[in-house]
Amino acid sequence: MFGRSRSWVGGQGKTKNIHSLDHLKYMYHVLTKNTTVTDHNRNLLVETIRSITEILIWGDQNDSSVFDFFLEKNMFAFFLNILRQKSGRYVCVQLLQTLNIMFENISHETSLYYLLSNNHVNSIIVHKFDFSDEEIMAYYISFLKTLSLKLNTHTVHFFYNEHTNDFALYTEAIKFFNHPESMVRIAVRTITLNVYKVSLDNQHMLHYIRDKTAVPYFSNLVWFIGSHVIELDKCVQTDEEHRNRGKLSDLVAEHLDHLHYLNDILIINCEFLNDVLTDHLLNRLFLPLYVYSLVIPETSEERKINPQVSLYLLSQVFLIIHYHPMVNALAEVILNGDLSVFTPQTDILSTHKNTAGAGAVRCFTKPSESLERSLELSRQRGRKRTQKRPNYKNLGEEEDDERAGGGGGGGGAEEGWDDDSSRGVEREGGREKGKGTEGVGGGGDRSSKGSRASGETAEEIEMVVMEKCKVSELTEQNITDEEKTAAATRTHTQRSRPFLDMVYSALDCTTDDYHALFVLCLLYAVSHSKGINRGLLERLQLPVPDQEKSCYSLVLVERLIRVISQASQPDGKVRLATLELCCLLLKQSVLSGSQCIIKDVHLACLEGGREESLHLLRRFYKGEEIFLDMFEDEYRSMTSKPLNVEYLMMDASVLLPPTGTPLTGIDFVKRLPCGDVEKTRRAIRVFFMLRALSLQLQGEAETQLPLTRSEDLIKTDDVLDLNNSDLIACMVVSKDGGQAQRFLAVDVYQMSLVEPETKRLGWGVVKFAGLLQDMQVSGVEDDSRALNIIIHKPSANPHAKPLPLLQANFIFADHIRCIIAKQRLAKGRIQARRMKMQRIAALLDLPVQPSASEVLGFGQTSNASPSGLPFRFYEQSRRSPNDPTANRAVFASVDKVPGFAVAHCVSHSPSPLSSPSPPSSGSGSTGRCDSVTASTVSAQSPTDDAFLEHTPPSSSVGDGEGGDVTLVSSAPVAALAPSLTPASQPTISLLTDNSAETLSVESLTLLPPSDSPHLHPCTSHTPATLSLQRPDAVIAEEEEEDEEGEGDRKEEELQEEDGSPEEETVREETTDEAAKEVEEGDEDAPVEVNSDQQATEYVTEDTDVHSDTPDSPELD
Amino acid sequence: MAYAYLFKYIIIGDTGVGKSCLLLQFTDKRFQPVHDLTIGVEFGARMITIDGKQIKLQIWDTAGQESFRSITRSYYRGAAGALLVYDITRRDTFNHLTTWLEDARQHSNSNMVIMLIGNKSDLESRREVKKEEGEAFAREHGLIFMETSAKTASNVEEAFINTAKEIYEKIQEGVFDINNEVRHTSLCFSFLLKPLHSSSVPVFPLFLLSVVFQQCVWFATLPLS
Repeated sequence: MFGRSRSWVGGQGKTKNIHSLDHLKYMYHVLTKNTTVTDHNRNLLVETIRSITEILIWGDQNDSSVFDFFLEKNMFAFFLNILRQKSGRYVCVQLLQTLNIMFENISHETSLYYLLSNNHVNSIIVHKFDFSDEEIMAYYISFLKTLSLKLNTHTVHFFYNEHTNDFALYTEAIKFFNHPESMVRIAVRTITLNVYKVSLDNQHMLHYIRDKTAVPYFSNLVWFIGSHVIELDKCVQTDEEHRNRGKLSDLVAEHLDHLHYLNDILIINCEFLNDVLTDHLLNRLFLPLYVYSLVIPETSEERKINPQVSLYLLSQVFLIIHYHPMVNALAEVILNGDLSVFTPQTDILSTHKNTAGAGAVRCFTKPSESLERSLELSRQRGRKRTQKRPNYKNLGEEEDDERAGGGGGGGGAEEGWDDDSSRGVEREGGREKGKGTEGVGGGGDRSSKGSRASGETAEEIEMVVMEKCKVSELTEQNITDEEKTAAATRTHTQRSRPFLDMVYSALDCTTDDYHALFVLCLLYAVSHSKGINRGLLERLQLPVPDQEKSCYSLVLVERLIRVISQASQPDGKVRLATLELCCLLLKQSVLSGSQCIIKDVHLACLEGGREESLHLLRRFYKGEEIFLDMFEDEYRSMTSKPLNVEYLMMDASVLLPPTGTPLTGIDFVKRLPCGDVEKTRRAIRVFFMLRALSLQLQGEAETQLPLTRSEDLIKTDDVLDLNNSDLIACMVVSKDGGQAQRFLAVDVYQMSLVEPETKRLGWGVVKFAGLLQDMQVSGVEDDSRALNIIIHKPSANPHAKPLPLLQANFIFADHIRCIIAKQRLAKGRIQARRMKMQRIAALLDLPVQPSASEVLGFGQTSNASPSGLPFRFYEQSRRSPNDPTANRAVFASVDKVPGFAVAHCVSHSPSPLSSPSPPSSGSGSTGRCDSVTASTVSAQSPTDDAFLEHTPPSSSVGDGEGGDVTLVSSAPVAALAPSLTPASQPTISLLTDNSAETLSVESLTLLPPSDSPHLHPCTSHTPATLSLQRPDAVIAEEEEEDEEGEGDRKEEELQEEDGSPEEETVREETTDEAAKEVEEGDEDAPVEVNSDQQATEYVTEDTDVHSDTPDSPELD
Repeated sequence: MAYAYLFKYIIIGDTGVGKSCLLLQFTDKRFQPVHDLTIGVEFGARMITIDGKQIKLQIWDTAGQESFRSITRSYYRGAAGALLVYDITRRDTFNHLTTWLEDARQHSNSNMVIMLIGNKSDLESRREVKKEEGEAFAREHGLIFMETSAKTASNVEEAFINTAKEIYEKIQEGVFDINNEVRHTSLCFSFLLKPLHSSSVPVFPLFLLSVVFQQCVWFATLPLS
């Protein structure tokens, strides 16, 4: 809007340099010639004022004489003069902008003092602008804000006049505290906070603020907040079909803004102010409006807001405000108080006269007069009796009381919560109190005479009195009140706790968890509040985090357990957020340090709940691929986004009755599930939470989740020993056109792209590693040698755009290799997923289907073994450049022998523990002979497919120190009881390089599972854990072993030591898998052993291995 | 002056990156940039035209209020757009962007439009943050990016106007629910009345964007923590 007027001033052109003292002089001249604003000179004046701004700032930065001139000529007076002429919006805005710029940009303290020195600024502040103009309003409030940012102990004297008790900057600003425009309100808050901060160092100002403005301001502020709360409640009540959510969230945000603002005032820690503020908040808002609403029957007209809203708001209060005297008093009432806090306490009036509400009925009432009027009155009075200081606070309060006493109309907010008779009493009390205060401090009751003259000294006395009783008042007040009342009016000694009772009873979740969620939040917030006495919580046995304790609240814990068991029911109405919070609180209750003090009976109930959740999840368990993805995804979201109660309580959507439909846009954890998929997700989540809870309470570590631990995975830049691994050379062309020559290797769970390590032959550096399960392989239309491979990044946030980790074309040397690679990848993917599915089944104590085991199998015993297998296989080999000898030892056998065979041989011998199958140690040699027979077969089948070996994992892993490979002997174990071995993972499988047939044998590297240090913990404790958790599982294992027919197995093992497990698996377990494999089109060698294709594959592999075995000295 | 919409912006970023200068530069063309003069202001307003509609921009600098949590919080919530400014000659101001952004995301409505601005592009010789870095940061966090100079006024206009366009588009797409007027009725009412006399442009019902963000589906995507 200013744009047009640029270059208006004709004179500007004449001046060579507009930034100069001369130019300012010229401007001064213009001003003197145009003292009266007219339509003709308006534009000229505006431009002149604007230019003056510019010159002043330039002067401040470059030439101090400019300022001298400005002051000398008293040019500020011209501004005022222009302003007072009702010169219109255009000029006003310009002046305000100029002032803004001046105070914003002045960097020299002295310049600032000059500008402030002759009180012109205050005259401008009190000028009655046309505030209905939003732009003037905005500039004006910005001007005040800019000034408030310049406040400090020196400048404050320019604004606050001790003698006249004027503080225009502050009093003018707070008049806009409830301005409809949010930016204006924010500016007002900023100004007040800046003022309070400075007032700490200025006693007089502090007294002024407290005595003259605090009560009017805070009482109006509190009323303003309360009105919003009532509106918020209305919004909740009238909501239909969640249509009010937008408005509701706005109101909630507004409430949060208020709380944060109050908290900001409180943490400035100005005691004088805090006392007044605390008093108003407690007695005029929190207690009468929030807390009282908890226990008022729905039908009563006195109920202003609903209990769920009040619980929600109280949670916010405790989460945000930590000011000790306030929150402690509030918590005391909620947790320990009774209704007596809402009856008048006449007997206390005399002792607690300084706190506005102590003697009064606690009620939420409209301030008797508007803030502006209060301030106006105080000004006038201040002028009339400048020597005296009416105690404003008491005045306002008296009026409130009268109002309350008078009852009746006025917005319907006036009713106290006592009956009429007590109201009368109260009024008396109010009067009495007013007089009493006056006696001490020269209070402001207009009707009272006399003591005013006492003036300053009396006030000092008042201060002292206040100091003394403050602590007891604020922290003990409610108790004292209560006790006194109890003594006076009641005979029974048992204290009733209606609020706490209400809170506990709201934990009932049979129909829904609408209230329960808020109660949990409230308890959580209270227990985490820094401002609440630990003693109070401990007396009530409320959960205090991180504290030693010997007992816990049975009532609470039992209710929590009930919620938990309801959550594990199929049709439970408990939302995930509620459950998570429940678990949190429960842990807080029963964990004392690292000790768990939970009673057996409660633990049993929890275990029951966990069991229920397991049964529930079983219903949803399906072999479908998507189940695995959901399972892992839920785990990720649960761990990556633990519940944040503060954020939860910022979300307005929970204020509306719980709903099930995602169409509301409500976060999944904050609503009930909708449809089968979400029900499955919920069941998974419940299972995770209860499992975690159960483990933690029993002091056990989670060993089986997540299914993929990142530390087990091969990572970029890992250095692997790839001797004897299947590697396929390819050119990787990424989407953005980058090309790289890489070797593709396929592990059990991962595919990796490696490049040769320069220092060690046969070793490779991983350039990329991605999970097979998230991979998508497709052919490339016009190139039979190429594959398009996409690996998706598992994302914790289902809404996030899926970002592929890798998206590239792989170009192989020829189409054969391409097909091979494709098959390996595709098969690897299926396998990886099956294995994980099996581990899930194991977690759920589900019997493993034969087909599944076969897949796993691929002959692998490893899965079956109870011990946790290392997820990855290269553990020791990688990152080991510094310790060649160690590596050497580990891989010695491998280097010379094809891994598969070697691994088995070695493993058998050293692992005495492994033994479900006794033959293990001896079997090596025996078997070897047989393998020869097999090898003949293999000779015919030069190609080998991907394969795997697998390593066994058994308990023996732990033992195989000294570089020997540890293997679990047992095929039987493997096949049978996967359920027992959730943690076990197959080791790596590397594909052989098909292209090089001669090499194929060599390249089939199975690195033995080195006994990696990190595995030990797994192996050693997993079985223990398992057995503890599910004794039945152990039994199952044994049975299964028996079934497997050990005899046969032993024989076979003896005969074909190396390949046997695989072969066996193949033979014994024919499967659906096989069918699939067929489809994938193995290009394998002739099938000699089995007609089944899959079997063939294995066999061929095995045979290859066998044929090699003779070469390896190790075997002997 | 009549306008169809009022957009409130805030400007955030470390101190000394030139926020208030940008603001003045955009809102008041009369203050021509001069080499030996630095002027800024904390508030400004200006009318622009987008798609034939008059739109009023109100820009609030939030400087100096960082110490009060309630204030920053409220500012974010009250704004439809935010200009996140860093100084290309000071690496640290760039490094702090993440913190600013987290703050903004946490407190603001999820559909507040945020524009990243690398200021002081005139000081090429002292540049510490490459333009590409700014671009990358913006891309990563879904912001609009621009390098500006409050000194030479380069790109200043574009920065504010592009942000406004983005907001305007969101309104057209229905992202901001303009029907969801809350408790600011009185204010809107006064706005509605005021413009009538001078307006040749049809006056659209006025909506304070700050208060009309709707809880749309995005809300659900806000991370819990």
